[in-house]
Amino acid sequence: MSTQHEVLGLLAQLTEVPDLPQRLDLPLYETQVLDSLKTVELIVSLEEKFGIEISPAEFDREAWATPRLIVANMESRVGR
Amino acid sequence: MTPYATFGYFGVLLYAVVPLLVPRVNTRWSRLWLLGATGLMLLVQYWNPIELRPGVAVQPLWLVIVYGAFQWAIAQGFLILRRRQITRWPFYGAVGLSLLPLAVAKYLPLLAPESAIGFLGISYVTFRSLDVIFLIQDRLIQTLPTAQFLAYLFFFPTVSSGPIDRYRRFEQDWQRERTGAEVWADVDRAIHHIFTGFLYKFILAYLVQRYWLAPLTGRGLLDTVTYMYAYSAYLFFDFAGYSAFAVGVSLLFGVHTPDNFNRPFLARDIREFWNRWHISLSTWFRDHVYLRFVLTATRRRWFKDRYTASTLGFLLLFGLMGLWHGPHLNYLLYGLYHAGLMIGYDRFTRWNKEHGVWGTSWPWQGAALLLTFHAVCFGFLLFSGRLF
Repeated sequence: MSTQHEVLGLLAQLTEVPDLPQRLDLPLYETQVLDSLKTVELIVSLEEKFGIEISPAEFDREAWATPRLIVANMESRVGR
Repeated sequence: MTPYATFGYFGVLLYAVVPLLVPRVNTRWSRLWLLGATGLMLLVQYWNPIELRPGVAVQPLWLVIVYGAFQWAIAQGFLILRRRQITRWPFYGAVGLSLLPLAVAKYLPLLAPESAIGFLGISYVTFRSLDVIFLIQDRLIQTLPTAQFLAYLFFFPTVSSGPIDRYRRFEQDWQRERTGAEVWADVDRAIHHIFTGFLYKFILAYLVQRYWLAPLTGRGLLDTVTYMYAYSAYLFFDFAGYSAFAVGVSLLFGVHTPDNFNRPFLARDIREFWNRWHISLSTWFRDHVYLRFVLTATRRRWFKDRYTASTLGFLLLFGLMGLWHGPHLNYLLYGLYHAGLMIGYDRFTRWNKEHGVWGTSWPWQGAALLLTFHAVCFGFLLFSGRLF
């Protein structure tokens, strides 16, 4: 399974927005789909899934604003 | 000289700012000028001596220099330890040492009455010192150039009361060369901000203070409620006005200091309020205290229920925010009150999600706005210290 597929699956499950994989430019924080608590869950599940470490200061609401940006960020860490 | 408080200050400010309007200076020498202007303005701001003890006076400028050298040494030392892969204790040590000057400045007068130490803005500069420590801990900083570090710490437009910029964001502006068009776009925004500052701080806040707040000396219920509204309005216009000046002057130097206020009284819930009020402070606490705490708790599985971590995170965030304001009961209560509001609001939204009582049509939204407004104003009344 590709990184994109896995990240989007995780996001859809976590946010309870089933059609999220089709809405790559959804502003996750502006629409309150994600908040700080869900962000923490997202970081922990991404870490477990890909076996990486994401430090708290690396997370940045602007850099993680949409599903597309989160996918790109993860692809740059673990490849496609 | 207190920044942005008198017309005399704005007069001196012209010397720092006018050379920036010469295009060649702006693109080639802007970094050097930022340092020079910061040095000049710190000299002006921290010249008038303060009394450490009765009879012992010192110019705060010296305290600023010692503080800067101390924070520089902590950050560089921590960076070396971090490169050697030593974890945990150096981090807590660095945070503790970095906080020490602020703790001494705020709590010394309690322990030894009649003595005082510190300089205007030490609370805000400490946030910037800590931001660097957190970035070193998370390995996002490998080297710390001295000029860049000091420029970030003491950048004069924001040194006294924020907004609290972040090191990595500041670094981008510091390293970027602006084109001529970008300079004029910044100047355009700067003028808008500075005039907003004059309107808010020198006209509206002044009028509210003079004709509404100051005459309210009664202690009855009606006077106290009126005081609550007047004080909230004053606090907003004074602080938002100051912040507009700080952001505006930053822009002239090509530093896009983040805005601190975004129409806070239009918030429809308390969470939204904290995204609109003193934004640079609340996001600092959100990222460095709440997020860090909840993330550690989740990774190490400290609690069975994930909401427990969130509840404790809110208490920690707002408790610390209260303590940061100073060693007074009203500030601590203010912090705990907001922690209570956030925790309560969080529970309520989860409950409402299942039961669907609070709707989304306009009467509900209007009610939410009014309720949030009053909850917030009551918080400011606690903060003001008028109640006890």
